[in-house]
Amino acid sequence: MARLADRQAFEHYAAQAQARWERLWAGDHWIISVGISECSIAKGALETYRHLELLLAQEGIPATLRRVGCAGWCFAEPFVEVRAPGAPPVVYGNITTDRVPELVHALKRGGVKTEWALGVRADEPFAGVQPLSQHPFLARQRRLLFADAGVIDPESIDDYIARGGYRAFLKALFEMTPEEVVAEVKASNLRGRGGAGFPAGIKWESGRRTQAWPKYVVVNSHEGEPNVFKDRRLLETNPHLVLEGLLIGCYALETPHGYNYIGGEHALAVKRFQEAVRQAYELGLLGDNILGTGFSCHIRVRTGGGAYICGEGSALMYAIMGQRGQPRTKPPRSVEEGLWKRPTVLNNTETFASVPSIVLNGGAWYASLGTEQSSGTKLVTIQGPVKRLGVAEIEMGMTMRELIFEVFGGMREGYRFKGVQTGGVSAGPLREDQLDVPVDFDSMTELGGMLGSGGFVVFDESVCAVDFARYLTAFNRYESCSKCNPCRLGNPALVEILDRVRNGYGRPQDLDIIREASKHIIELSLCGLGQVAPMPLLGMMKAFPEEFDAHIREKRCPANVCPISEAALATVGDD
Amino acid sequence: MAHRVDPDQRVDLAPLLEVLASRFRPRDDQEAYELIVGACQEAQRLYGWVPPEAAQAIADHLGVTINRIYGLLTFYADFRTEPPGKHFLWLCHGAACYVMGSSRLIELLRDRYQLEDHGVSPDGEFTLHVFNGCLGVCDLAPVIQVDHHEYWGRLTPERLEAAIEALKRGRGVEDADGTAG
Repeated sequence: MARLADRQAFEHYAAQAQARWERLWAGDHWIISVGISECSIAKGALETYRHLELLLAQEGIPATLRRVGCAGWCFAEPFVEVRAPGAPPVVYGNITTDRVPELVHALKRGGVKTEWALGVRADEPFAGVQPLSQHPFLARQRRLLFADAGVIDPESIDDYIARGGYRAFLKALFEMTPEEVVAEVKASNLRGRGGAGFPAGIKWESGRRTQAWPKYVVVNSHEGEPNVFKDRRLLETNPHLVLEGLLIGCYALETPHGYNYIGGEHALAVKRFQEAVRQAYELGLLGDNILGTGFSCHIRVRTGGGAYICGEGSALMYAIMGQRGQPRTKPPRSVEEGLWKRPTVLNNTETFASVPSIVLNGGAWYASLGTEQSSGTKLVTIQGPVKRLGVAEIEMGMTMRELIFEVFGGMREGYRFKGVQTGGVSAGPLREDQLDVPVDFDSMTELGGMLGSGGFVVFDESVCAVDFARYLTAFNRYESCSKCNPCRLGNPALVEILDRVRNGYGRPQDLDIIREASKHIIELSLCGLGQVAPMPLLGMMKAFPEEFDAHIREKRCPANVCPISEAALATVGDD
Repeated sequence: MAHRVDPDQRVDLAPLLEVLASRFRPRDDQEAYELIVGACQEAQRLYGWVPPEAAQAIADHLGVTINRIYGLLTFYADFRTEPPGKHFLWLCHGAACYVMGSSRLIELLRDRYQLEDHGVSPDGEFTLHVFNGCLGVCDLAPVIQVDHHEYWGRLTPERLEAAIEALKRGRGVEDADGTAG
């Protein structure tokens, strides 16, 4: 494939890609797509794919078999989309190998397997199957980043271009100055999706203002929290979208140096992003003198080694530089002195992925989505015993109750809702009576919760608040980078006290000691992660005081989880 | 795949040197530093751990000190500087798995198989890594990834024990796999 020399060459190429896409979907032949992503592979999607290939050949169904990305519905993986000649595409969920023969036989007979169908990609019901857009998981979602998730092949730049990809980059490159790009991002009020919520446009502006070269633009795809998996799904299902956002970022900063730092555990995300970069180079959308404009851009992919702390901005930059990923004191901020001591603009994967639609449709349009202070859409993941697990993309401002009970379907049979842990390991939980809070950057903070990166963990009555608090605190203890004392020594101390409480040796004054120690950790820790490390514990204490009380005064674990010792039990009532 | 490295045998560096020569070609010092972690990850993919010989080869190839290499190997949780057991268990201890009972799995592995985080079982069969992040397959929680490609999902201590015993007997693990049931 030759590098595209100019805009006209790109337009020509895009027209061809689009024509191929339209021919593919003209409706005159079989197309069968299987979602291949980390979580569907875990549930056997590759076997499903091979099985389908075999049986379709056996049955003489001449189908084009495609691999697409994840569509966010982990609960329905592996999914298979079937487009029969003359019929709209029907999406089937949970097609494990044992279901493949029956599905293929049904197709052979020209039928639709209604009971396995999630929905049909059409506006009207088809053969008793409701439109996919009315599926309760999707009906309340607003998909910008996930619009083509599960539709396009993530390893095909042609698919991406056929669906309008790289149009935003071209618009920026040919019709806008870098200042105008930054102005649109500023107008959109796009706030950082990694958790801090700092306005991206202001960061980009400061990056432009700093007079030192070279400059760097870095995507933070590290995602090391124990309860979120949205960024890797985004990279797995639409890597070019992130790459396009990064390219626009590099153009806005007028720099040829872009990086994506991806957690090493996310093997498929790394692989697909690298493939996207390779394809973009091949086509001439990366490299020197892109489309004859004189603008050059080179992207390097770096992978992490499994340290949560490397999601912190300054630690991440040290990690890229081949040092131990430990944060440093600020100022100077990264936009002044970051990677290799040069101005560096660092944003989350999701933030960059939001940029193309802002450039295409304008900052004002994006600002009109969501709420006034928290514009746009947000990827959220919910974990725990809910009916429909997965990644959802919602407009900011939906209430937590709607999110859990409508989008994610509420609790599974036999589980009763107790609370939802918010903000990863950096904030506290919400109780049932607090669920009417809007999901946005600011509303949850007053209740001790936090939007964070959008990972929420629903837990039921079988989970003990003290034990859960211990789990979250132990995470922070284990992942402390050990650079500064309050975090390194404070978190083990908290875990120690909690273990005492769990074993039945807790004393009433322990709760005060926890508060006091937490205060030191919060006030004296060096980085943002240390400063919030005690928050989950304090949040649990605030939300479920009666459980802490039961452990300490009655030597009793209401959820029957904690290893209260016999010896401790014998002392009940002594004091 | 299970890594089969005899700890007493010398490590065959040829495949690593080949990868380094073809894919790790820094243009300057800056890039050499940036490539260390990736090179160590390649070594671990090849050998199941980063043997001292491999660390030295990476240091020589990239022109950095061996101290720098070990500084990183001991900082990042993913790396092993000791030979692993025959099978690699990657136990997800993310919040979803915790809520669904991963702590009980950790206890079983410790009590029944003397298998601790980052340790090797006494019979040399298993290495355990407890992963504090999220494997991202929460629908299967609590979940263990086995030998880098297979998943045991929706585990209980009983099912985990059955799966381990099956693996020890050298049988396929499909019958114990949460996805098949």
